[in-house]
Amino acid sequence: MRVLKNIFSQLHTFVLWLLASILFWGWIFTFVTDTVPAKKVTVYCRVPAVEDTAMAAALEEDMPEGLRMVQVHTFDYVMFGTDAFDRGDVFIVPASEDADFVKDLLPLEEGQGGVKVYDAATGEGAATGYIQYGDEDYYMYLGSGSVHLDDGAALAVARQILAMD
Amino acid sequence: MDAQIVELYTDADMERMDRRVRRWRIGLGSLAAAALAVCVTLAATADTLTAQRMELAAVAVSTLAGWIVLYGAMFVVSPVRREMAHAAMLRREERQRFPGEIAVTGQRVAIRRSVVTRRVEVTGEEGVSRLLVSESQAAALAAARPIALYACHGYVAAYEVDA
Repeated sequence: MRVLKNIFSQLHTFVLWLLASILFWGWIFTFVTDTVPAKKVTVYCRVPAVEDTAMAAALEEDMPEGLRMVQVHTFDYVMFGTDAFDRGDVFIVPASEDADFVKDLLPLEEGQGGVKVYDAATGEGAATGYIQYGDEDYYMYLGSGSVHLDDGAALAVARQILAMD
Repeated sequence: MDAQIVELYTDADMERMDRRVRRWRIGLGSLAAAALAVCVTLAATADTLTAQRMELAAVAVSTLAGWIVLYGAMFVVSPVRREMAHAAMLRREERQRFPGEIAVTGQRVAIRRSVVTRRVEVTGEEGVSRLLVSESQAAALAAARPIALYACHGYVAAYEVDA
């Protein structure tokens, strides 16, 4: 009883400590689980849902040399106003919207359009174990601002995704 | 009849309080260091797949350990340190004798950044003197049935009893 009374008398201090703890370790783990664009490949998916952590971990199992990590995000991640989208490496976008992004995106191979990663008619596609696609076809592109166009890491990760179940 | 002066805070009391503070400081410091080591290990071993769980664990460990350390510091170490400072002042400063009928009242007086006290009234030939005694010593003082008090700056430092 006395312990509870003491705690309630300094409740603001205990709540402040909780908030400080969440903020501090959030910052530390963001630092630990992120790195500079040159050491990571970022995949953006314009899809209803994606198991981002599991997919990133699967892609990291066979990472191109020189990379520290692979990150997978939905487009919602970009809504926080970062310039991350401009530096994205691999993009998966629905057919109805790819015209909106085509000026920022590059085909996997010159002279071609995006690579179809999901066929709505058959329900077959790449990485369906991780990505929940919508009711239309989806295409994959490389980001025009990617720093991994020359070293081939963006293309290597894109091909890994295409080979995923 | 001989009178005997009893100090509220003896050398043994000072030593006991000092030991208690040191023990708690070591305990709380060890807990904080252990929690920090666990959290750093969690952060260092985190990978993409485990990062979220590790972060949750680090927040839980640091929050719980922090709460225990804060509680210990605020409600155990700090009051004992304040009492030690109060006792050191009582032992150091010059005292005044207050003979008369002594009553420890139930009135509690909390002094900011110092000890919690109880009001003591001494009814003597010169009227009623109002003094304060540390709450931790109030029961002992009341039970001793003193015939006079020794106080400095209004705080009881010792009492006199018939031997």
